[in-house]
Amino acid sequence: MRFHIASLYPLLYRLENRGWIQGRWVEKPNQRRRRYYRLTAQGQKTLAQQRHSWKEFVGAVSRITGVEHA
Amino acid sequence: MPDWKQEISKQLVGLNLPPCREQEIIEELSIHLEDLYEEIVAGGATPEEASREVLSSLSHSDLLAELRVTERTALIDPIPEGVVNSGHLLADLWLDFRYAARMLRKTPGFTTAAVLTLALGIGANTAVFTIVNTLLLNPLPVEHASQLVAMNTAVSKNTREPVDLRPISFLNLKDYREKNHVFSSLAGYSSLTTLTISTGPESQRLFAEVVTGNYFDTLGIRPQIGRFFLRDEDVTPGAIPVVVIGYAAWQGRFGGASDILGRTIKLNNVAFTIIGVAPEGFKGVNAIFGPDLWVPSMMAEQVLTAQQHNALVDRAMLTFTGAGRLKSGVSLAHAQADLKTIADALEKEYPDTNQGQTVSLEPITEAAIPTNQRQGLLLGSVFLMAIVGLVLLIACSNVANLLLARAAARRQEIAVRMALGAGRWRLVRQLLTESVLLGLLSGILGFFFGYEGCQLLSLFRPAEVAQNFVDPHLNANVFVFVLVVALFTGLIFGIAPALRSSRTPIVEALKEETRTAGRCARRITLANALLMGQVAVSLVLLVTAALFLRSVQREYRMDPGFETKNLAMFMLYPGQQGYDRTRTEHFYKDVRDRLATVPGVASLSWATNLPLWQRTETGIAVEGHEKRNKSEAISSVINTIDLEYFSTMGIPFLAGRDFTEDDRQGATPVAIINDNMASRYWLDQNPLGKRLQLPGQTELRQIVGVVKTADYQTLGEAPRSCVYVPLRQNYSDSMVLYVRFERNPEQIISALQGEIRSIDPTLPINDIRTGTKLIEQALWGAKIGVGLLGVFGFLALGLASIGLYGIMAFSVNQRQREIGIRMALGAGQSSVLSLILLQGMTLVTSGVGLGLILSILLGRTLSKFLYGIGASDLPSFAGASLVLLFVAMVACYLPARRASRLDPLVALREN
Repeated sequence: MRFHIASLYPLLYRLENRGWIQGRWVEKPNQRRRRYYRLTAQGQKTLAQQRHSWKEFVGAVSRITGVEHA
Repeated sequence: MPDWKQEISKQLVGLNLPPCREQEIIEELSIHLEDLYEEIVAGGATPEEASREVLSSLSHSDLLAELRVTERTALIDPIPEGVVNSGHLLADLWLDFRYAARMLRKTPGFTTAAVLTLALGIGANTAVFTIVNTLLLNPLPVEHASQLVAMNTAVSKNTREPVDLRPISFLNLKDYREKNHVFSSLAGYSSLTTLTISTGPESQRLFAEVVTGNYFDTLGIRPQIGRFFLRDEDVTPGAIPVVVIGYAAWQGRFGGASDILGRTIKLNNVAFTIIGVAPEGFKGVNAIFGPDLWVPSMMAEQVLTAQQHNALVDRAMLTFTGAGRLKSGVSLAHAQADLKTIADALEKEYPDTNQGQTVSLEPITEAAIPTNQRQGLLLGSVFLMAIVGLVLLIACSNVANLLLARAAARRQEIAVRMALGAGRWRLVRQLLTESVLLGLLSGILGFFFGYEGCQLLSLFRPAEVAQNFVDPHLNANVFVFVLVVALFTGLIFGIAPALRSSRTPIVEALKEETRTAGRCARRITLANALLMGQVAVSLVLLVTAALFLRSVQREYRMDPGFETKNLAMFMLYPGQQGYDRTRTEHFYKDVRDRLATVPGVASLSWATNLPLWQRTETGIAVEGHEKRNKSEAISSVINTIDLEYFSTMGIPFLAGRDFTEDDRQGATPVAIINDNMASRYWLDQNPLGKRLQLPGQTELRQIVGVVKTADYQTLGEAPRSCVYVPLRQNYSDSMVLYVRFERNPEQIISALQGEIRSIDPTLPINDIRTGTKLIEQALWGAKIGVGLLGVFGFLALGLASIGLYGIMAFSVNQRQREIGIRMALGAGQSSVLSLILLQGMTLVTSGVGLGLILSILLGRTLSKFLYGIGASDLPSFAGASLVLLFVAMVACYLPARRASRLDPLVALREN
């Protein structure tokens, strides 16, 4: 999977601004420093909420369309 | 390979990011591009192809636009979504605080009213809490009080009845001290004993405690000035007469003289040297009432009464309460077990005196309040705290009403704030800051009110013993309490008005003009509900006060079992003037003979006990009523009396005879008992001729008479047993002279004093109590309690009626236009008056109704504390309701009158 630079990084920054993820620079020997992102507690909560509402949404859609899970 | 960083920074031109942020982005993105480049190369492309592909992906993207959106929002709103907030909490708080202070300064009338109202409520709470704190929570100013335990003899062991705690004899205490493994030090102190102090020709009486030499060291107390007892000062009986005086005695009796150390004072006619002054605030182990001075135990014979003269050598003489400091790491249970072993050994070794005795330990903070007073004190404290809590609640709802009224005036301000984007929570916080600030200001003032209140209350201590009473003292507990109450108060009265205000409909409010602001019906409803609650609560407080007032009135008229009218008691302790036995006996007879001739004196007698101050003693043996086990101890009041005691006191005989001249030393030992004892031990028999034995005595006494049971310790107490023994068979050197007069004793008393002075001019005869004064003293605590209840009740009434007045005046102000129209259409003054009055009194009467229901419920709980009246005593309920209705009527009438005098023209024009 390849991310496009113009969509990935602004998205990451936005998530970070909202406090859902947090990035930090990590330096390893003989390598350039890289930025790693991890979910914050708030981010996990939001993720859970959004997953939940997505599931509801999907559930609602499947009920309307009559599509059953395989 | 191109320089990715440069490529990216070209893309970011025009974004105007902070330099460091820009560097970060460039670095992160360049890594991405580099990775991408390597990936493409690894896929088989040439470096040129790869560079081209990467660069095209960069240049054909809308990276700039995306980043612009992202970074712009980041700059404007760094706060995560979900929290509507303007910035730093603390900075906001400071702003709110400053704004609140400005608002309060701008409306001095409102601020003063609110602060005063709350301060009264908080002050009442502070005063009561200070006393509770002094008595119950933090009673002893000693070092590490948790290590200290009080040690007593438990007389009846293994019984279901509550253990009867008695002091420990000096010899037993000494054994415990030498044999225990749990105390780092064990001291002993006697109960309070009265002494005669002679300074020049004048003599006064004061309270002393006989203590072992290590008493102060055990408690861990340092002297104010001078020193405490040395080890060798408490070794040889009667050898070294030294004394430590209390701080209050030093300040009061000796005027705080700086040369007090080394001074000699005469106590019971023995010269004592003052070696030190106890620190301020230390008044012995008892939390309520303490001694003026402390005497080492080796001087016990010189200061204790004749019956206790052999306290140091008689193992049966229970004189001292132990005060031990536990070694570190020793628990109370462990100590109890260790001492019980010693007690068992002592019981085996000295069966005559120690049979049936063991020891009981308790934390000294508990022993600081005598068992019989503890429960009452605790209940009283909780009750008073509840009462003042209610008073504060009324004050809070008053201020809440004031705030609601003010909120109407501030609707526009709040609407403007909301229109400018203030969030609801932000507004509530702002308003709450204001009320908390009000609360804190009131807390400061209330603290002083409370402190003054305590001082005022101290004035009501009986003057002659005021300095023996513990002083209410302020400490960290009180400060924290006031702070918490103040903050809490601020929140309680602030929250409802703040929430209400923050719901202001913006558009409507902005369009309104100031004068007509706030025709919001619901706000009035909330205010009315608060008001009704206030009326109800203050009625409850008034009814409670009335119930207790009537109860105390009844107690005054209660029959104590003897005639209190025209009776006087003279405390004369010839033994304390150095009289020997012959001289004392002669003195008793002399006084009786000479005073009997004074006109106006009906009869007189001597007795050891003062009415209502009689102690019970345990260990009486009744012949034919053998103890089933050794723990079954008979306790009774024992009173040594002279001839004619019963006729002087007005206690009727039920059977048998009074003591006579013939009941003297050498004749058959006799006793008179009360009918309570007779029915307890000789229910179906004639007690006359039966025999009993007093504790510490060997001979059996024959019962020759039965008298009616009286009250011995408190008014209206449960009947107690009492044994009377004749003075001639049971010598005592400290007796009370009872004189019965034919009429009011006031003028005759001085004649009697002169007569006694002519027998011995050095005897102190200032301590005279009349029968009525005795009842007064017995009811002192109850009277103080009722006084407090009354004060708090009327405080509540005052606050509630001020609140009522405020809300009525506000409502009249709001309805000016309506009233103007009514009057323009022909409504008369009286109809407007009754309209407003009706509105107010409807509220009040519903409040009274609610209050009556609450009072009846509360009365059920209170009924067991009331004497002589039922919990639903009609006069109390009716009286309290009438007082409240009357005051409320006045509070409603004033605004109503103003409304009825409105000029309709003016009212309509202005609105």
